[in-house]
Amino acid sequence: MALPKPVQSSNLNDSVTILATAGNVPEAALCFHCGTLCCGTRFALVDKFFCCQGCQTVYEILSANGLTDFYQLSATAGVRIAATVKSEQYQFLDAPTVREKLVDFSDAKLTRVTFHIPSIHCIACVWLLENLFRLKSGIGQTQVNFPRKEIALSFDLAQTKLSEVVTLLASLGYEPELKLSALEGKPKSTGPRRLWMQLGLAGFAFGNIMLFSISAYLGLDAFAGPGFRKMVGLISFLLATPVVIYSAAEYWKAAERSLRQKLLNIDVPIAAGVAAIYLQSCYEVFSGRGEGYFDSLCGLIFFLLCGRLFQQKTYDRLAFDRDYKSFFPLAVTRKERRSPARLDDAMTNLKSIGPEAGTPVEAQVSLAQLAVGDRLIIRNGELIPADSKLINGPALIDYSFVTGESEPVEKKADDYLYAGGRQVGSAIEVEMVKAVSQSYLTSLWNQDAFRKEKREWLNQITDTYSQRFTKIVITIAFGTAGFWALLNPALAVKSFTSVLIVACPCALALAAPFALGTAQRVLSRRNVYLKHPYVIETLAAVDSVVFDKTGTLTAAGAGSVTWMGAPASGQGVRLSETEERWLFSMTRHSTHPLPVRIGEAIQRDYFPEPVRSFLETPGCGMEGSVAGHEIWMGSAAWLATRNVFGLKLEGSVVHVAIDGRYRGGYVLASAVRPETERLASGLSTGCEVALLSGDNEKERGRFAAMFGPGTQLNFNQSPLDKLNFIKHRQDAGKTVMMVGDGLNDAGALRQADVGVAVVEKVGAFAPASDVILAADMVTRTAEVLRYAKQSVCVVRVAFWISAAYNLIGVAIAASGKLSPVVCAILMPVSSVTVVAFACGAATGLGRGLRGAEKTNLPPPNLQLQRAGLKPDVPIVMEAQS
Amino acid sequence: MNSNIETFKYDNRIVRAFAIATIIWGIVGFSAGLLIACQLFWPDLNLNLQFTTFGRLRPLHTNAVIFAFVGNGMFTGIYYSLQRLCKARMFSDFLSWANFWGWQAIIVGAAITLPLGLTTSKEYAELEWPIDIAITLVWVFFTINLIGTILKRREKHLYVAIWFYIATAITVALLHIVNSLEVPATAFKSYSIYAGVQDALVQWWYGHNAVAFFLTTPYLGLMYYFLPKAAERPVFSYRLSIIHFWALIFIYIWAGPHHLLYTALPDWAQSLGMVFSVMLIAPSWGGMLNGLLTLRGAWDRVRTEPMLKFMVVALTAYGMATLEGPVLAIKSVNSLSHYTDWTIAHVHTGALGWNGFLTFSMLYWLFPRLWNTKLYSVKLANWHFWIALLGMMFYVVPMYASGITQGLMWKQFTKEGFLQYPNFLETVLQIVPLYKLRALGGSLYIIGALLMVYNLWRTARAGKFEPETEAQAAVVAKPTHHAADDPWKHRWLEAKPLTLTVLAFVAVLIGGLIEMVPMFLVKENVPTITSVKPYTPLEVLGRDIYIREGCVGCHSQMVRPFRSETERYGEYSKAGEFVFEHPFLWGSKRTGPDLHRLGGKYPDAWHYNHMDDPRSTSPGSVMPRYPWLLTQTLETNSLPARLKALRKVGVPYPDGYEHGAAQKDLVKQANAIVIGLKVGAVENAMADKEIVALIAYLQRLGKDIKAAPAETTTTSETAL
Amino acid sequence: MIVIFLLIPLSIVIAICFLAAFIWAVRSGQYEDTCTPAMRLLLEEKKSTPPEPANEFPTKSEMK
Repeated sequence: MALPKPVQSSNLNDSVTILATAGNVPEAALCFHCGTLCCGTRFALVDKFFCCQGCQTVYEILSANGLTDFYQLSATAGVRIAATVKSEQYQFLDAPTVREKLVDFSDAKLTRVTFHIPSIHCIACVWLLENLFRLKSGIGQTQVNFPRKEIALSFDLAQTKLSEVVTLLASLGYEPELKLSALEGKPKSTGPRRLWMQLGLAGFAFGNIMLFSISAYLGLDAFAGPGFRKMVGLISFLLATPVVIYSAAEYWKAAERSLRQKLLNIDVPIAAGVAAIYLQSCYEVFSGRGEGYFDSLCGLIFFLLCGRLFQQKTYDRLAFDRDYKSFFPLAVTRKERRSPARLDDAMTNLKSIGPEAGTPVEAQVSLAQLAVGDRLIIRNGELIPADSKLINGPALIDYSFVTGESEPVEKKADDYLYAGGRQVGSAIEVEMVKAVSQSYLTSLWNQDAFRKEKREWLNQITDTYSQRFTKIVITIAFGTAGFWALLNPALAVKSFTSVLIVACPCALALAAPFALGTAQRVLSRRNVYLKHPYVIETLAAVDSVVFDKTGTLTAAGAGSVTWMGAPASGQGVRLSETEERWLFSMTRHSTHPLPVRIGEAIQRDYFPEPVRSFLETPGCGMEGSVAGHEIWMGSAAWLATRNVFGLKLEGSVVHVAIDGRYRGGYVLASAVRPETERLASGLSTGCEVALLSGDNEKERGRFAAMFGPGTQLNFNQSPLDKLNFIKHRQDAGKTVMMVGDGLNDAGALRQADVGVAVVEKVGAFAPASDVILAADMVTRTAEVLRYAKQSVCVVRVAFWISAAYNLIGVAIAASGKLSPVVCAILMPVSSVTVVAFACGAATGLGRGLRGAEKTNLPPPNLQLQRAGLKPDVPIVMEAQS
Repeated sequence: MNSNIETFKYDNRIVRAFAIATIIWGIVGFSAGLLIACQLFWPDLNLNLQFTTFGRLRPLHTNAVIFAFVGNGMFTGIYYSLQRLCKARMFSDFLSWANFWGWQAIIVGAAITLPLGLTTSKEYAELEWPIDIAITLVWVFFTINLIGTILKRREKHLYVAIWFYIATAITVALLHIVNSLEVPATAFKSYSIYAGVQDALVQWWYGHNAVAFFLTTPYLGLMYYFLPKAAERPVFSYRLSIIHFWALIFIYIWAGPHHLLYTALPDWAQSLGMVFSVMLIAPSWGGMLNGLLTLRGAWDRVRTEPMLKFMVVALTAYGMATLEGPVLAIKSVNSLSHYTDWTIAHVHTGALGWNGFLTFSMLYWLFPRLWNTKLYSVKLANWHFWIALLGMMFYVVPMYASGITQGLMWKQFTKEGFLQYPNFLETVLQIVPLYKLRALGGSLYIIGALLMVYNLWRTARAGKFEPETEAQAAVVAKPTHHAADDPWKHRWLEAKPLTLTVLAFVAVLIGGLIEMVPMFLVKENVPTITSVKPYTPLEVLGRDIYIREGCVGCHSQMVRPFRSETERYGEYSKAGEFVFEHPFLWGSKRTGPDLHRLGGKYPDAWHYNHMDDPRSTSPGSVMPRYPWLLTQTLETNSLPARLKALRKVGVPYPDGYEHGAAQKDLVKQANAIVIGLKVGAVENAMADKEIVALIAYLQRLGKDIKAAPAETTTTSETAL
Repeated sequence: MIVIFLLIPLSIVIAICFLAAFIWAVRSGQYEDTCTPAMRLLLEEKKSTPPEPANEFPTKSEMK
């Protein structure tokens, strides 16, 4: 296969010449590893270019171990390496306390650990990760579970450390997800396995018994002899018994439970039916009166189990009951106490991860080991694990996920920072003032209201129906028994059992799982993920919807970027294309969210131009020269220090000066999701709507307009306020659905009858909830609710169908004419029709939903509308992250 | 470099060996087929050699195709894929080669014994007892090698193909043993321990499962391995493939009785076969669709990749066959199709389409890889594809036509209520042209195969054979103790496949014995139609000649309970009539008329002349001449041994009968026949010739019952 | 038809062996992941080319 030329064949000086030529490659050079655009500093290796050192390192590792097939397996094989990985970064994993909690098991020779690796995305990943053993001695077999994005990895502690393994993974771009929750050990579910076995057993017995008995129904001539009947009966008995005991186990348990709770749910008549069939058949076989109903029995249980399996849909990539622990990191960088002097130069080192970074100035420690007074270093995008005081700023903290504030807030030294905030921009140093467990967020969490145990989803409709059903059946059974007792006592018992047998509500029990299960699947295809099919029942009942604002109605990180030109300046208020391209090139070099968003907003087919002498001053701005022009972008205050004074603009602004002349500023505002008005109008019919926001009042007008007068709008809501608001609605007899995203909504989500967590990216962290909803579906809530109602109707109709069948059966049974054949025909036919109807109808109705979904595609990213001709009309650009 | 890498080598030599064997035997099998196909419209094509008559070559053809061509093809695929799926070399090279040479020896054995007329006459199990034992032995080698490799695998997960292989190994062994239980009389003659109806049931229980587990499951495994490889995309739904396997395996074993619909086989068993067959559509089609859907999005490659073309047709053929099978198993359809060429068409859809095309596909894929080169000519491969496809069409379509035509003609009545075609020969002459077309199709198929041989030979010559492929894997460390949910925890459990296999056999053998004891104790083999008597010594020898010449290949001995048949042949056959038939000779195809009621229909002389030259008595007959029967002396030395063996399996010959008394009876009866012949103006007949024995047998056929009151038959069966 | 008493139990025994195999397969987690094995099948051909000592790489060089 066409491997890239082994590098050692090119000796130093020709590689030098190539490197020389590498200078004048087109700007469009793509990174050989991750395929992203190489801009600014470019790394070159013989004939290949890399966007960053990280990517080049991966390539070197792979080719050094002859694993370059990686790149042929998939066009998009490479994962972009965010930052160069330092081995110290993971040292905390070697602390026995941490390691022992992380690994699945460990002994002298072998340690096994399972990691969740979000960046697993293609077949090449599988191949590379399963060849990991080639890259490092001590690593044994690795096994990838692609759908779960998991890797089970075995290694030898004697030869390598856990931290080294993780470092290797991370340096290849497969950084494991290390969250606090990892320490709690994974809950292992053998549920499906058990179900599969029960199903297999039932199917096996069903298939084989049916072969005998159907043949028997078709005629037994030469076999009419007693010996043969007995054998068939015995074999059927032997096959059916384990089915009744093992496969039907759940039904016995459930029936027993519900009887103890004195309520007749569906499991009672099922259990009764199964028992009746089994005993009757045993009696017939051993009394030599026939072959019994074993085939129907196994068929019944088989179908029921299929139903169970169907409603046991789980989503590999989703978890519905996460708490802050899976949001918090496993470890943070702690700064060992040093003399102030050393501290300062350490600080300067922090930005560029230099060799000093390896020195014991800082160390990764797991949250458990943190203590009040510790100095922590929080890098861009990292989370503040505990309430703390900002030592060394300035900081820009994004609280959107915690408090619902939409914009990152500036913090100065000595400010108080709440846990859960994210630092954006360059690294800061903080000092813990509270332990992780006492911090704002966690203490919030530990309130009882927040830890309300997850409700178990019950199948209410089915149960209500089965209540009546059971009563009716019992009466009929006794009725017929009594009737025959008078007329023809011989038939009394038979007719009694027959009624129980026929009336066994298999079809009834199948209706809900299949209808709602199908609905669940239909919804999941539209990125609406239900924790359990029966959530739909509650959804159908919802008559009060509560929305969170930030991240729910307003897209987090997305927003309108508006250019406000300075009228004063010579070149007119609008930026020329060239100028815009310069600014774009600048933004490419910043990690700060504001420039990044500006960059996304103004980007068109621009190639970034090389930026010389780029410098970013945290909390102030950035400067650099593009095409010989000196460009400053940053806060008004910062520009002011350079004697550049511009417009007074509200909200978060990035002011721009070119060659020392002020040009204007970008104003960034949070964006309301498209079609929110449609949502409001769609919901207004039939259920009340409310909006809760942790944000300040500044956008009240905007939303009041959207939702109209009827809607309640509360701002500055604390998580507890939200929770209480929900409680209050429920006390008012409402069935409440809460739609929110952040941890600040977590309490409300749990309190609500249906908690809907909104995620920008499916699989991303979402607080505990019953439904996980992709952001672009939020405005479809109304449709989803309608579909839920329809699905429940489907279940009702299915009930009537199965009821009809039962009526026929019972009629036959009551007349004492029930034979195995009738049973063997009636049972599968009724079950199959009900299932077919349930699935068919639910899918069909889902079509309507799809139609809706199509029109709902998010607006094309970074749509750039040129402003109208009026100079004071700002250029508005919708940006979606 | 690093200590945790294990380097090992895949054995390609064994794969090459099997691949070449596949090709060679394939050509042999196809050619044998073509030869006998031509004999059906050109009887003299046996060149007046007794070794090349249709009756003797038909089993050679079926065995060559099933066990030599498909068998070797299956081993080729398994030995290649298993090593790679398990990331391990085969368990034992010795066993591999024992398997190879053993298997080839068996085939050669078959190729020698069958033309010599050494056959049990049980379809697909014709080989005589010494070879049966050899088969068992070799199969055990294979099974051990298979399980051994699975146990030392370095890949935790057993890919679905491996499951299909396991199923094949275990089941075929069991089927073969049960069906081949026979009592040897001489070095190359044995009698099945089952009689008549029971023998039929066992035979077709085996017969169908041979198809199921020899021609289907292993090839499904190969499909699940080679199709994704060729399509370069994972199988459409791996989950479905797993369900496919288990659904298939849980009920597949019940196949069989549907080969005996409307025979004397009791209804229950017939219905069983029918129900089963219908149930089987689901998993079969699940598998086929899974295969075809794997190619969705890759159809452009199907156009360019010949091996994918072959794969697609193979899957389609599989689908067709698995749909047609159940249809044929429906009684009403079967009443028309059975004994006609429809069956032939059906099996060849499977053999030519499913097994043939899949094998070709696999070979085209394997050779370039084994020889580290490109396929010599894609163009040629495409030619092969189209020619073979055309050939298949030319084969199957005429066979359907002739099957249905003949089936209808047999059942055709005139207004007056007489058979429209009372003379069976008419129905044959009607379809002879179709036989010619079929031969054309066959020859096209062979031409295609020859193109492949050339193509692959050039490929191999162009490349350099890689005897061993080196591979690496991480050392599988075994934990000293086990954590709660450690996936490796169950390692010890993985010895289960072996344990299971062993247990299975123990259980089966014990069970078998327990079940068989009553079979010998229960006085079941006592004639239940009082008038049904054992064959006389001369008839026994005659029957053995009938078996030797493979008459059963063209003549059934089972009159089905339809008016059209009772009109034509006489009283329909009763189960009770066959209690001394070791083995049963019901047959599965009527190229000639049914013979069950032949006895007494024609004078001895007629038979004499007919055997000498069929066309002298029935002009236009496609039956070959058997002049050697008139000249060859009847071999009587083995008579005692044969009678003893028959007594062993339950035919009530008086003790010591074989010493003297039997020979006397034999001579007496022979002389009587010679007199009969003389009456018929056959002067030069001699009592010690084979023809005499054969006539004796033919004249006995189906006579006993005529003496018997009909109703006893019913009681006879219920008593079983 | 005594032979049916042989065939049926035999068939059942076989079928039960397969059932046992099925149970083993599920128990030992063979079917925990019904996606990756299908992908893995396509990866076995990929040979790894002989490794080269990493130090022979020209040291990466930055440029502006």
